[in-house]
Amino acid sequence: MRLTRSIASALLLFSAGVAQAASAWSFDDGSLQVVAKKSGDNVKEKLNSKTPLANPVTLGSLDTLKLGLTAKDNGNGKRPHQAFLVLQEQDSGLEAPFPMMVKENGKAVLQITHKDLPMQFLVAKKPLKASIVLASFGASQGLNAPAFEVKIGIDPNAPAPTYEKPLRYGKQPEIHHIFRPDPKSPPKVVSLFFTLLVVAALPALLIGWAILGGNVKHLSTALSRAPLSHATFFGSIVAMEFVFFLYYTTWNLFQVLPVMAAVAAVTVLSGTKALGEVQARRLAGDR
Amino acid sequence: MSAADPLQVLASAGKGESTRSVLRVIILALIAGAAISSRLFSVIRFESIIHEFDPWFNFRATKYLVANGFYNFWDWFDDRTWHPLGRVTGGTLYPGLMVTSGVIYHALRALTIPVDIRNICVLLAPGFSGLTAIAAYLLTNEMTPSPSAGLLAALFMGIAPGYISRSVAGSYDNEAIAIFLLVFTFYLWIKALKQGSMLWGALCALFYGYMVASWGGYAFITCLLPLHSFVLICMGRYSTRLYVAYTTWYALGTLASMQIPFVGFLPVKTSEHMPALGIFGFLQLLAFLDYVRSAIPSRQFQTFLWLFAGTAFGVGLLGLVVATSMGFIAPWSGRFYSLWDTGYAKIHIPIIASVSEHQPTAWPAFFFDLQMLVWLFPVGVYLLFQELADEHVFIVVYALFGSYFAGVMVRLMLTLTPVVCVAAAIAVSHLLDIYLNAKSPENPDAAADKDADGKKGGKAGLKSTNKPLVGIYAGWVKSVIVSSFAIYLLLFVMHCTWVTSNAYSSPSVVLASRLPDGSQHIIDDYREAYQWLRQNTREDAKIMSWWDYGYQIGGMADRPTLVDNNTWNNTHIATVGKAMASSEERSYPIMRQHEVDYVLVVFGGLLGYSGDDINKFLWMVRIAEGIWPDEVKERDFFTARGEYRVDGDATETMKNSVMYKTSYYNYQNLFPPGQAVDRMRGVRLPEVGPQLTHLEEAFTSENWIIRIYKVKDLDNLGRDHASAVAFDKGVKKKKPAKKKGPRVLRVE
Amino acid sequence: MRLSLSFAAALFAAAVSAVSTTGNRLLVILDDDGDKHVYSKFLGDLKSRGFDLSFKTPKSDSLSLFHLGERSYDHIIFFPTKTKGLGPNLTPNLLVDFLNAQGNILVTLHSNVAAPTSLAALLAELDIQLPADRAGLVVDHFHHAADNSSASAHDVLLLPPPKPVRSDVKDFFSAGAGPDDVLAFPRGMGATLGASALLNPIVRAPATAYSYNPKEQVGALTADDVFAAGTQLSLVSAFQARNSARLALVGAAEMLQDAWFDAEVTAAAGGSKKKTLNREFAKRLSGWTFQELGVLRTNWIEHRLDEPGDARSNETNPNIYRIKNNVQYTISLSEYAWDSWTAFAVPDNDDLQLEFTMLSPFHRLPLSWDTSRSSEAASAYTAHFRLPDQHGIFNFRVNYKRPFLSNIDEKNTVSVRHMAHNEWPRSFVISGAWPWIAGVAVTVAGWLAFCAVWMYSAPAKQGVRGDKKTR
Repeated sequence: MRLTRSIASALLLFSAGVAQAASAWSFDDGSLQVVAKKSGDNVKEKLNSKTPLANPVTLGSLDTLKLGLTAKDNGNGKRPHQAFLVLQEQDSGLEAPFPMMVKENGKAVLQITHKDLPMQFLVAKKPLKASIVLASFGASQGLNAPAFEVKIGIDPNAPAPTYEKPLRYGKQPEIHHIFRPDPKSPPKVVSLFFTLLVVAALPALLIGWAILGGNVKHLSTALSRAPLSHATFFGSIVAMEFVFFLYYTTWNLFQVLPVMAAVAAVTVLSGTKALGEVQARRLAGDR
Repeated sequence: MSAADPLQVLASAGKGESTRSVLRVIILALIAGAAISSRLFSVIRFESIIHEFDPWFNFRATKYLVANGFYNFWDWFDDRTWHPLGRVTGGTLYPGLMVTSGVIYHALRALTIPVDIRNICVLLAPGFSGLTAIAAYLLTNEMTPSPSAGLLAALFMGIAPGYISRSVAGSYDNEAIAIFLLVFTFYLWIKALKQGSMLWGALCALFYGYMVASWGGYAFITCLLPLHSFVLICMGRYSTRLYVAYTTWYALGTLASMQIPFVGFLPVKTSEHMPALGIFGFLQLLAFLDYVRSAIPSRQFQTFLWLFAGTAFGVGLLGLVVATSMGFIAPWSGRFYSLWDTGYAKIHIPIIASVSEHQPTAWPAFFFDLQMLVWLFPVGVYLLFQELADEHVFIVVYALFGSYFAGVMVRLMLTLTPVVCVAAAIAVSHLLDIYLNAKSPENPDAAADKDADGKKGGKAGLKSTNKPLVGIYAGWVKSVIVSSFAIYLLLFVMHCTWVTSNAYSSPSVVLASRLPDGSQHIIDDYREAYQWLRQNTREDAKIMSWWDYGYQIGGMADRPTLVDNNTWNNTHIATVGKAMASSEERSYPIMRQHEVDYVLVVFGGLLGYSGDDINKFLWMVRIAEGIWPDEVKERDFFTARGEYRVDGDATETMKNSVMYKTSYYNYQNLFPPGQAVDRMRGVRLPEVGPQLTHLEEAFTSENWIIRIYKVKDLDNLGRDHASAVAFDKGVKKKKPAKKKGPRVLRVE
Repeated sequence: MRLSLSFAAALFAAAVSAVSTTGNRLLVILDDDGDKHVYSKFLGDLKSRGFDLSFKTPKSDSLSLFHLGERSYDHIIFFPTKTKGLGPNLTPNLLVDFLNAQGNILVTLHSNVAAPTSLAALLAELDIQLPADRAGLVVDHFHHAADNSSASAHDVLLLPPPKPVRSDVKDFFSAGAGPDDVLAFPRGMGATLGASALLNPIVRAPATAYSYNPKEQVGALTADDVFAAGTQLSLVSAFQARNSARLALVGAAEMLQDAWFDAEVTAAAGGSKKKTLNREFAKRLSGWTFQELGVLRTNWIEHRLDEPGDARSNETNPNIYRIKNNVQYTISLSEYAWDSWTAFAVPDNDDLQLEFTMLSPFHRLPLSWDTSRSSEAASAYTAHFRLPDQHGIFNFRVNYKRPFLSNIDEKNTVSVRHMAHNEWPRSFVISGAWPWIAGVAVTVAGWLAFCAVWMYSAPAKQGVRGDKKTR
């Protein structure tokens, strides 16, 4: 098998070498037709292998593109092994060949509808480039000539063809997390104003008491009657507030609880005595 | 048991007050002992093990608390649940239970008693039930002067099945301590109200704070106390006592409740807490009016009152509506609506309705849980109605609302039980006080003699202080009544014991069954499967299962789960539902996205176990449909005739769902060809079982209750799983000879 | 494992000139021993690179790809064999298992010999389609060699050096070749590739080339006859499985024969005689297939807190971070090139990207070269970023899958926790809280003052009563 082939090809090589310079493929009677199914506005153009058509033809979703030509090898009608109409999508460079039906005498026809087109072509933005390739074995120079351009018309009523890009490994778009905005405080002036307002309540309270007759005139009396318990009681109340303050600033719960227990015990013990003294004054009509 | 104790005490008690006190203490101690010991059935029958579902989380959280300390527990971010969202556990739980156990644990440690934390957790609920009995005693004693009523209430409380159902040993749930806190808070509230005491009010607030820290059911107190106050006000019983008690409780209690991270600002933001706030404001108004009334003449006061009350009410209502519509106050939550409309949850929040605890109570359950207390309860309420002091109003209000809620939700039987016990104890003690009086009445009064039972109550009710002389003369009447009640009480004790040992002591982690010879057989599939997971999977292998098993997987298998019984994220649960209800091809991307390694399903077909996933499946579908109505449709799981079937006539959607496939995969191989039977649903299964492509069987437990599947990795060669499986089985790939439709070119 | 392997590799490198990263046991499947002389240069090159060649015929009884569940060979070359199938030892399932076990396969076809069914089935699993009846010949009437038999049969294609089809892909197969160099593709079979991302054409046919069955379609071609044409026709294809096992399909086994290694050819379009690139290409192709080229390795990964002044910044790879923490992530990569690990440089137009994902990526950031931690044998890439304000279980993920480079998919799981109770800004820092703090302070002061006044006040004329009332 291999031997015969190589002999055959050697013979062909010989003959090819003789004829090479002269022969080449070309075509005649090139015609291009777009047949619409319903309306009669058919397009018909003449094709030739030297110059492509100037304007793109439009292929609607129900239209049929018909191509006819006669392939010629060195001027004689002949059937080439490869008679393709190659469509190319301009953005991605994707190509699809459409072999023509060729008769022995080189007459070739081709019909293309939307159904024959690959998915990517249907969603193409730019017109498709069509070129005609005629070539065969032997020495004749093949023809690869740009012929015309096809614009894909999409039926606005039918569902638009969708093409999902297949997964390809590569760089993906960057993502940056968008953070929620931080909570904002009102303007400091406002806060300060209200702070002052709140702080002002304390002097107002004290002044109010003073006007109503509040005083601490009995402090000495109380201290002289029960000095220790009054001092510790009031001290423990202050100490409790201080514990709260420490809890707010540095301490944690487990540091606070024992101290609070201790202070509370002191408050209760000294409080009974101290408040007893206060009660005694009240019963005496001194309050 | 000790039911006879109070009777004997009353019959033969020494006259001295101190003897009575000692006896009372002893009896209370015995009751507490009885309450604790009857809850130990579960340990004796089975073992010292944490029960059910939620307790497993509480147990895990307690272990974390004990191991990492309080502050780490507070800031705990749990990355082993709700994968991959995680759960801010420290901020989304009621820490009271865990902290209580932790304190007990450390206290015992300090006393050099080394106890395993598990034992503390198992025995916490029985321990607190003893305290609940005592709290019930105290509460009842505030209601009636009868010394026996309190003891009876303590007894009822100790052994009533309605409470035991949530507090057997091992049932380490929030309710374990919450019921004690509930009853005790009520006691303190009554105390504060009766005395108008700030101290008792503060104590009440303290225990209210503890309650808030322990159980979401604290809202019951939050609503009941204002309601009680409101009813009192409406009855014209506003008093400074009420003012002091309520304002002290509300101010301190609200502050205390806001310390719990999970509660936070809810008390001032949600509608459920608004009644308490409203009554607080209302009381301030009343106090102010009280003051004004004492200051200005009464005629002017009338107009002033109406004007003032009208404006105040209008402004308050307007403020509430505006604040709610502006979103400052959250509207009523779905859970709340479902309390009024039992059908609401099923339509709007299937996740709540899917829990059996949230179903309306079946009527037999009342008898099952309360037995004779059911009919004693109204009698007690009636008797209290007769006297109707402030504290009696409380019980009446409590009884009304408790009964309603218990009828709406099975779970809330728990909150009803205390008031039932109190009321029933009052009824029984009232009866016994009359009939156990050995002496005949000395003053033979015709009226009292004739209608001994009829008018007596009415008269006594009108003037509670002035008790008419009533009594029973005939000894046989007394003996009949007393003996019949003794029998009732005995029956009650027997019923409670029977219910406790047979119905409420099962850990539900292990199932008990009887062998033909009558001996007990333990079905231990759950633990078998969890142990398998623990020993055979990576430590961070993510398990997808329906949320019911999330806590158990986290607690027993120590593996991360997608969803668990803390149903905080409905979408995430719906995602799992969708993955279970969709076909393998559609559920695979979901599982990949959530990094699922294993799928765990519960299948009861072989054993006839009713709590399996096929029976829960419709809930999964419904919950998923709530989020993705276009992708999951409940209708697709019913046959054309509207039947939910799993046999050969099951719908295609059903047969292709992951849940169906994983449940029945390989099941037919257990039987002779064509004889496969689902014993749970009692149907014959098709001869050819489902085929799996994206999952592979990893483990099936002894009785097929738990089935675990591994999620396959993406195919190494980039094929889809179905064709990879077909290739492995030797099916020749069909030539993609003539493809229909337009060609697709390969790019690049 | 990897380390020991690379250590072993280093040892071997001392003994022989080079060796693959995954082992050197190479199985060559031929019809009979006579055939191997045709490929002597190619096989010799392999041998000199350190491969340990075993020759087997498909029907050999001693042929077994696995021994006790472990691969017996690391790589396989299939040369065209006349047999229709490949026997029970080389079933497609076994070959798939071989790929799954990280073995590499080089398949060569020839237009005169129908591809064995076993290989066709394997290729079909990978989404590579062969022409009908597993036979076909690629011809190009425009780009063929004009020297010998091909002058009229047009079956020796002369192709430019295979450049990568995308600008961001590293050039493994034509590096060093001049623009005028040609690759001879004699009497080969073309294949079409499915849409899979695991497949990549190395050499695509020229736009005018097409495939036909020389036995049946001698006359003209009809639309149904054309298997594929133009660039859709892949002459040399590469497949890399998810586990980085590689398979290369060479349409023309003759490419690798001695005759074409140093042949001189003239293009049909004219021009002078040129030496073919085949030997260099064969070396590169086999080097790639057998894991000598384009093999990436992760040396180490390090992530840590990047907060100045925080003691935890010293901890490497902690399990837990907090939301809004600044973190640093560094990954060290090496690339194997023939005989040694070198620093991996990301190709131009490409980025090594780090994703920080939970369900979906929150961040996807390019990693930049960190010169201070790179060496000749390893390059470190690093990124600094702020964690999102969403707690959860996140992955640092470097998923670097590129054509012709072995897959890097590194996932490091960390938990991102919420703010702990004591990590928020203190209330005195927040200006909006000042009135409230002042309120607390005033209340405390007022309470103390009240205590003093209540306890120590002497009776006033009538004020005391009023005072008490309002309290």
